[in-house]
Amino acid sequence: MSARDDILDRLYRHVLDGHAEKAVTVAREGLATGVEPTALLFDAMIPALEEVGRLFETGEVFLPEMLVSAHAMQTVMDLIRPLIVAAGVDTIGRFVMGTVAGDIHDVGKKLVMVMLEGAGFEVIDLGINVPGDRFVEAIHDLQPDVVGMSAFLTTTVPEFGRTIELIDRAGLRDQVKILIGGAPVNQLTVDSVGADGFAPDASSAVRVTKQVLGIG
Amino acid sequence: MSEMTPRQRVLAAIEHREPDRVPIVLGASNATGIKAKPYRELKEMLGVSAPDEYLYDWPELGTAALDETTLTRLGADVRGVLDLEPAWVLERNAHRPPHSDYLNSWGSGAREIRPGEWFPMVCPLAGATTIEEIDDYPWPDMEDPSRVGHVAAQAADLANDGRYAIMATPWLLFPLERAFAMQGMDTFLMNLALYPDFAEALLWRIQGLCKTLMGHFLDALGENVDIIKIGDDLGTQESLLMSPAMYRRILKPIHADYIDFIKHRTKAKVFFHTDGDVFPLIDDFVEMGVDILNPIQTSAGKMANLVEIKARWGDRLTFCGAIDTHRILPAGTPDEVRDEVRRVIGIMAPGGGYMVSSVHTVMDDVPARNILAMVDAVEEFGRYPATGTG
Repeated sequence: MSARDDILDRLYRHVLDGHAEKAVTVAREGLATGVEPTALLFDAMIPALEEVGRLFETGEVFLPEMLVSAHAMQTVMDLIRPLIVAAGVDTIGRFVMGTVAGDIHDVGKKLVMVMLEGAGFEVIDLGINVPGDRFVEAIHDLQPDVVGMSAFLTTTVPEFGRTIELIDRAGLRDQVKILIGGAPVNQLTVDSVGADGFAPDASSAVRVTKQVLGIG
Repeated sequence: MSEMTPRQRVLAAIEHREPDRVPIVLGASNATGIKAKPYRELKEMLGVSAPDEYLYDWPELGTAALDETTLTRLGADVRGVLDLEPAWVLERNAHRPPHSDYLNSWGSGAREIRPGEWFPMVCPLAGATTIEEIDDYPWPDMEDPSRVGHVAAQAADLANDGRYAIMATPWLLFPLERAFAMQGMDTFLMNLALYPDFAEALLWRIQGLCKTLMGHFLDALGENVDIIKIGDDLGTQESLLMSPAMYRRILKPIHADYIDFIKHRTKAKVFFHTDGDVFPLIDDFVEMGVDILNPIQTSAGKMANLVEIKARWGDRLTFCGAIDTHRILPAGTPDEVRDEVRRVIGIMAPGGGYMVSSVHTVMDDVPARNILAMVDAVEEFGRYPATGTG
């Protein structure tokens, strides 16, 4: 195995095992020896995350393992993101994400964001308890391709509809696809609030996003 | 069958005998409770003028302490006995600046993100990953007599009255939930994977405190209790929060130890609350000595398979819950609620071993008419024999 392959292999395993510090160390080692940041992302970390997603779907790993893998990848991304941006690598779309007003749950949302970033999206997090007009503002200012909204509670699900109405009234509804997610969300929710789709879990979020954008 | 008292009804169901009708558990604890808004609407519909009061004297939790007239109208067969935060904590919180964080004796607490909406977001051990940090933390004093000072008299009054089954629920003496409160849910889940020794030590430290307070609580109750409610949320919408292997390695010994501790001190039945799809762990619950499983979240994964759940575990577990709060209660019509109660009773009630309750707290989005539709359907379809046939 070449030194380059060895680095990519170790990075893959550290992300898979969720060892953030080791992953950062090996990523630094890679950068120092001339491995391109895009290779670290596309040839090591994304395959690792895809594998975690696969293992999650088959019930072989659960939330703790998925969270640490996502955290490891995010930690390395903080290191290499500026380099990737500087290299002018195209993203496949811009995704703005937030937990709706009145809700603070974000474990699932964080996972979805990592998955999307790993798949090549530029992801902007508006945080938790995000009022509808803040989503409107973000669409106006950031011109995303997709807006993702998360709600964990049945009592905050109506915020999807209220926010979409605000987006509509601002004349911005046609500019973006709107995806929703969270424990009580299903196709009925999508239909009743006028969203474009939902993902039942983080690992299917990328597929659904690509579907609504007609890519991949 | 002649009319039983509510307590006889509950005890029969728990002993897997058919009572006169399926028991109703509403209002006696947070997870079987009703939030203040639907409670107010209920009172208005029923013409009841009782004041707004809260479980645990804790307005920020927002779960109503139901008045006796409303409880009677709901056909509630169980009455609750709860502990309290120490008097100094209640006092401090009653006089803190309006809208500032609510902190409990553990040092964790809730923040108001919109007027009147509080979420548990204050996590004092969020950054901890070492045993030293656990050792250095100022853990709460479980010897404070004001936590359970009222319990003996309250339980004795209920027992002397004798009509209702008594369910005791000290607030969140749940090790995993407490660990989430101390660290934040995602942080603690990650620590379970990354620093299992730390995570396990934190759980055992919390467990020790839970047992100390539970011991005092049980001493105060004496014989005057039928059900002890404990639990830990272990499921998600689709699956488990952690792998069965991780549960069995780290958390199950803690739960088993806890249940063992309780069963050595009381004859009361152990009511285990655990949200989400916990289907793969039901055998473990039986093995640990759980008597009553709650809330049977039918909207989550395999927990929808009521027929299989009843067939496989119905002889060893009593089920409490199963009336959906994701769709039916908040969004259904009263007729849909009625149909769902009829359906669930038809599956779960034969032979006893089932008590109707909402899947977790009745939240603000549930119309009062649906709460009444739920309990009226129990009266209509929950009479034995010929349960479920109306």
